[in-house]
Amino acid sequence: MGKWVVPVLVSLWLTGCGEQEWQTKDISGLMPPLEFTLTDEKGNTVDAESFRGEPTLLFFGFTHCPDVCPTTLARLGTAIKRLDDDTQEDMQVLFVSVDPARDDPETLKEYTDAFGPQFVGLTGDKEALDALTRRYRVTYGYGEKDDNGNYTVSHSSAVFAFNDQGEARLLIRDSDPLEAVVADLERLANDA
Amino acid sequence: MLTILLDKLSSLIRTVCGIALFLVAVPPALAAETLTTEEARIRLLPGDLPAAGYFTLRNTGDADVILVGVDSPAFGSVEMHRSVDRDGVASMQPVEQIELAAGEQIAFAPQGYHLMLMQRARPLAIGEEVEITLLFEDERRLTVTFQTVSPASL
Repeated sequence: MGKWVVPVLVSLWLTGCGEQEWQTKDISGLMPPLEFTLTDEKGNTVDAESFRGEPTLLFFGFTHCPDVCPTTLARLGTAIKRLDDDTQEDMQVLFVSVDPARDDPETLKEYTDAFGPQFVGLTGDKEALDALTRRYRVTYGYGEKDDNGNYTVSHSSAVFAFNDQGEARLLIRDSDPLEAVVADLERLANDA
Repeated sequence: MLTILLDKLSSLIRTVCGIALFLVAVPPALAAETLTTEEARIRLLPGDLPAAGYFTLRNTGDADVILVGVDSPAFGSVEMHRSVDRDGVASMQPVEQIELAAGEQIAFAPQGYHLMLMQRARPLAIGEEVEITLLFEDERRLTVTFQTVSPASL
């Protein structure tokens, strides 16, 4: 019987005491706080300071992206709708387009509005986008233009989550179960 | 008498040929029923941004088929694409054709195979029905009614 004591104590310690673990990837201390200077959906220059005070999610994509980007944004929107009303309102999702040649402020606004009031479109010139993508060690690139002038854009598929102070907390992937995302967003909203 | 016989014979031959032709002509139509789709939907983005088409295609026939193209009067251009995620980097690749073995099914689903629907012929609203035709290598065609849905739907 004695051999059960240690595992039981350990599991009690793991579940009972201390803080609950994040269910998606914890990047606290591994990534720098949110910093950028970009153009918003109204054409105004904004920086990360403008978004301090509320939990913020960051995703890189482009609007001519019918599959991956809407799927990720729809999952975030679905997770956010499961939070309580106040938390829902507080959440901010920054959709940073890495395709400024096609994504002007109006296109970005139309695109992000389709997913909910929490979604904000941002973009910038190459220098601004390079600074932000390098900061979070992600890449983006453009495919060759076809006969119609269409081209595909490669982009990071993960979502970065920051607390209301702009400190990096989580990397959320599409492979994470929705319940895990909901639980972590709930906790992120209470993480000051 | 011989002429009459020959006449009868030739009309008989014509009838037989007609039936034979009919039999030859019909199988593709019947065979098309061995290709079925489910959950055909278009996730519509605002304006004229490219939309994604999803469905499950089932081949209940005895022969393998190859999906070689897609066409729709509602879009100027339709391509088959596949999303890939390599080390956290998402990108799209065009797909020329997809083989579907007898008895198998394939899902065009978020973050995998999808139709990239470009250049709307007319504005589309959520909830509309749109016809899209799947083209197969053996010249069979399967016209499917897709329902347009919100981009925020999973």
